[in-house]
Amino acid sequence: MAVSIAPNPANQEVQRMADVDSAVKEAVVEALALDDDEVTPDSTLMDDLGAESIDLLDILFRIEKSTGVKIEASDLGDYMQGGIPDDEFSDENEVITEKGAEHLNKVMPQTNPSDVAGSLKAEEVITLFTVQNLADMVKARADGAGA
Amino acid sequence: MPTAPAPDLKLRIGIDAVGVERLRRLVDGHDEARERLFTAAELDYCSGKRREYEHMAARFAAKEAVLKAFGTGISQRMRWTEVEVVNERSGRPRIVLDGAVAAFAERHGLRDLDVSLTHTQDLAVAQATTLWERRAGCAST
Repeated sequence: MAVSIAPNPANQEVQRMADVDSAVKEAVVEALALDDDEVTPDSTLMDDLGAESIDLLDILFRIEKSTGVKIEASDLGDYMQGGIPDDEFSDENEVITEKGAEHLNKVMPQTNPSDVAGSLKAEEVITLFTVQNLADMVKARADGAGA
Repeated sequence: MPTAPAPDLKLRIGIDAVGVERLRRLVDGHDEARERLFTAAELDYCSGKRREYEHMAARFAAKEAVLKAFGTGISQRMRWTEVEVVNERSGRPRIVLDGAVAAFAERHGLRDLDVSLTHTQDLAVAQATTLWERRAGCAST
């Protein structure tokens, strides 16, 4: 008697997440012409791996090709800010507020809100963005969530 | 003798260099890259020129230089097409702002903006100079 085993949705989800992680890493490695072992989930794209704006665009195009998830470079700011109005995300000196820092901790869990609030400038947030943060953004986009 | 800006104004500059081959690989490797990086007028200007990729690289460098002078960046919800390089009849480049970049300029009191471009076979460089109103409590001005 033939036995059919239904796919386990939990296992499929784990596999999908792993596929996205892999696709993002491959895009980073190829766009920046790095060795595979130079790129870890915790690597920051700009500071650790030396990505510039043109590289970021290249990475996003490669991710779009391999996963079908379209992300524009300007979307990164929306993702990191999470719909919080400018004057609530950062103060008049463009320094991240407590509210901004709390949101950043959700999309960039490696950031510590108490370290970020009142000291990190909005323009510096991108320097903390890691390979894993990008993979998480791709997954959120694939799920239809903004941030 | 150089003169400083008026006390109520603040000068900020930005500079950027773009490898011509790096730019070529990007725009030739991805169908949508040209449209995401350049306006239709910029593409018209560069298209068909013998040094097409040098001109494109110079324009991309100009966009980056302007955003650096603004103290911001493309990650902050700004698009490269919102900083357009147009050429005067004399050939001198001029910047036209649009969208979120224009709104940022207005909000932070941009008074003047100038850009200079240069390129060789391998490298394009742009420098942007900006003049801002100095406003109390605003770091960008």
